[in-house]
Amino acid sequence: MTVFLQQVGLFLQYSLSGLLQGGVYALIGIGLTIIFGVMRVINFAHGDLLMLGMYATWLIFTKTGLDPYVALLATVPLLFLWGAFLQKVFINRVLNALPQNQILLTIGLGLIMSNSMMLIFTSDYRILTTSYSSSSFDLLGLSVSQPLLYSFLVTAAITAALFWFLQRTDTGQAIRATAQDRDAAQLMGINVRGTSILSFGIGSALAGAAGALIAPTYYIYPQVGSAFTLKAFVIVVLGGMGSIVGATLGGLIIGVTESLAAAYVASGLKELVVYVLFLGLLLFKPSGLLGKSRA
Amino acid sequence: MPTLSRSPRPRGFSVVAIALFLATALALAVFPSFVAKPYVMHMGVMLFLAIIQGQAWNVVGGYAGQYSVGHAAYFGVGAYVTMMLLEVSKIPPWWGIWGAILAAVALSAIIGSITFRLRGPYFVLASISVAEIIRLATLHFRDFTRGAEGYLLSEIPTLHLFGAEIVFVGKRPFYYAGLALAVATIAANWAVQHSKLGYYFQAIREDQDAAHSLGIHLSLYKNVALAISAAFTAFAGGFYAMFVKFIDPNIAFGLDVSVQIVLIAIIGGIGTIIGPVIGAMVLVPLSEVLRNPRGLVQVGVLSPDSGVVTFIERYLSNAHLLVYGILVVVVILFAPEGVLGVIRRVVAWGRRRVAARGASPAPA
Amino acid sequence: MAMLEISHVSKFFGGLAANSDVSFSMEQGMIMGLIGPNGAGKTTLFNCITGYYPPSKGEVVFKGTRLNGMQPDRVCRLGMVRTWQKVRPLAKMSVVDNVMVGALARTSSLRVAREVAQEQLRIVRMDHRQDFLAGGLPIGERKKLEIARALATKPELVLLDEVMGGLNTGEKEEIILLILDLKKRGFTQVVIEHDMKAIMRISDRVVVLNSGEKLTEGTPREVADNPEVIAAYLGERVEG
Repeated sequence: MTVFLQQVGLFLQYSLSGLLQGGVYALIGIGLTIIFGVMRVINFAHGDLLMLGMYATWLIFTKTGLDPYVALLATVPLLFLWGAFLQKVFINRVLNALPQNQILLTIGLGLIMSNSMMLIFTSDYRILTTSYSSSSFDLLGLSVSQPLLYSFLVTAAITAALFWFLQRTDTGQAIRATAQDRDAAQLMGINVRGTSILSFGIGSALAGAAGALIAPTYYIYPQVGSAFTLKAFVIVVLGGMGSIVGATLGGLIIGVTESLAAAYVASGLKELVVYVLFLGLLLFKPSGLLGKSRA
Repeated sequence: MPTLSRSPRPRGFSVVAIALFLATALALAVFPSFVAKPYVMHMGVMLFLAIIQGQAWNVVGGYAGQYSVGHAAYFGVGAYVTMMLLEVSKIPPWWGIWGAILAAVALSAIIGSITFRLRGPYFVLASISVAEIIRLATLHFRDFTRGAEGYLLSEIPTLHLFGAEIVFVGKRPFYYAGLALAVATIAANWAVQHSKLGYYFQAIREDQDAAHSLGIHLSLYKNVALAISAAFTAFAGGFYAMFVKFIDPNIAFGLDVSVQIVLIAIIGGIGTIIGPVIGAMVLVPLSEVLRNPRGLVQVGVLSPDSGVVTFIERYLSNAHLLVYGILVVVVILFAPEGVLGVIRRVVAWGRRRVAARGASPAPA
Repeated sequence: MAMLEISHVSKFFGGLAANSDVSFSMEQGMIMGLIGPNGAGKTTLFNCITGYYPPSKGEVVFKGTRLNGMQPDRVCRLGMVRTWQKVRPLAKMSVVDNVMVGALARTSSLRVAREVAQEQLRIVRMDHRQDFLAGGLPIGERKKLEIARALATKPELVLLDEVMGGLNTGEKEEIILLILDLKKRGFTQVVIEHDMKAIMRISDRVVVLNSGEKLTEGTPREVADNPEVIAAYLGERVEG
């Protein structure tokens, strides 16, 4: 009986960690889904934006000792501006091109970002260790990693703020309108160009924030982005392209799935499992749980 | 208002083009008799490989319009199967490579049946996923594939053909083999383009639904295109494995391999026969020089203590991926039809200028 | 045996009935006019007949063969071809290559296909445009190209979807004469059109759809004088 309870306990443990991790994944997914929702662009460089967030946080930490969560105040605006720049200069030009070309463009931008960082910082793994990096709380008998909990709380705060922004402010509503129907939004006087720039900025900022949040618990290196790009896609397709609520749910689901897969299948295979899941989704349920599809 | 323009595709045989092609092939064949420096031979082999990869991709990506960014799956299968058949079963590569091609075609049938129901960007994402699944599986099931360790080849057995002995030592034999393969791939491509297959592939690319309603069995022809493409890509993979003599999951199945293949095809001009040749001529020297700037010294282009060499070695080693990224961005933004597209636009602009000047009399 | 028999065909999209219990039949060599206000379900019916999607209910029988759910390419090879309301030229291919794609449904030889294609282009008077890119053609020629391409598949039944839409009087006249000529040569045709004068001139019988249902069927005169039909078109009186 105790063995069974132990197993249940372990299962809950894995699930909880997965859930907390899933919060951060949700952040990445939300960013990607906003970009797709507003511009119908599939941003293959999303993970590299996250990577930039990680490096920015690490740099600030090593140079000034500023705590990563505090440094968010700097990294988020930074990534926002970078995203807006990318949209204005590059992405905007291909909004009417073939979707294949759009993906290739973002792949190219991603390659530029990750390889520039490699040239500047080399491929060496960097680590960001805070005083609480390996500490954990005790929550009803379950062990909860401290940085993971903080990240989850910050993520919840950011997501809540985002929801408020999109529902209650004029600009937020403009974004939602453009995502629903670009042409109609334009006819109603919404500055669609500006909204696109804003959306890519927000998407990048969210990716950067996610990077900042996981920096204390992940190795930081230039190629780290690609695994997250994939995860972001699975989350977005799972939740439905363009659905923010879907991306949130998708993120949590993926977090738990990954955690359980790593524990019960084999740690090395967890990425493979996610890819297979992604393929399955694309084939059988491309509109996801909650989304508007254009498969 | 759409502008009426002539189709750039010549009808049937262009004697000039074929003559030029044969002349170039001949010139390349006798080239090593004059210049046989290893660096040049190496560059030549990589050039031919790139041409084969680009031509192969074009069949399914350029003609049939199915943008696979996961062609490394077939390249890698070609490399691994050839290598494994040699190392494990002692089967010489010139037989083993046919097994590899068969495996790749079988794989393409599976992948095609799964992914071809997806359109546009979803197909792209699916193709990327498949290649990654194969890469991760190869990495993980190391009992079968030696995982991250990869395969290291020490020597290739001698080929006994029609009483002659062909020894695959050094780079020169690979140069000739590579040239022959590139010529064969170009010829195959040309044959496809000028056949019912070619017309059907293009129809699928232009408008799938219209093609369907005109009697074209979509999944059959898409799979045929993919099978042809996979076969030649696998050939390139097996050939590469024998030439470089070392493969691992990243070298064989990595995303950058797939991106490079697409780049070769789109830089020159997607869906054309000469496009991948141009693309290869741009990409290969760039990436080889970045990987190994000392080679330029070897061929006498640069002096041994040239600042360029040290600069590249110190700051730009392995920057070829960065260059690829920049190239992709530049091509997509400014020349989505590739170099050929730019040339065509310039020629068309020139023709309009001449016509305009001829039509209106010069101002008094 | 009827060439085409549509029996109680319905097509639902979620809760919307785009076609509802539509039935009619056609003999060989007939021209059937298919009319109705926008959104009546005419193109949907074409899509069901040609296999773009299967009907939700009912039967489509062509030359004695039940078609329901048969793939469009097989339907084409059986001898039924359609044109599209929004023209679909194979833009980056030349005019003659476009028509050759149609011809290749019946032959594997490029030479034969080219001969057939050039013949069809002569019939629609577009052979001077052979080597031009289809994407650069003006709308009238695109429509003619689509007809030539369809004819190259050597069909018995041709479904024309608003083939006169967007054309000027001269171009429309050309198409009308072409349709009448095709009838003389033995083709069976279903023509979706909004131009009532054209429908009156070419049709042997007319089927009227409204909101997915078949409103009525009859000779052109009967249909034109039918008050329900006039009401469906919001009071337009039909001259001629």
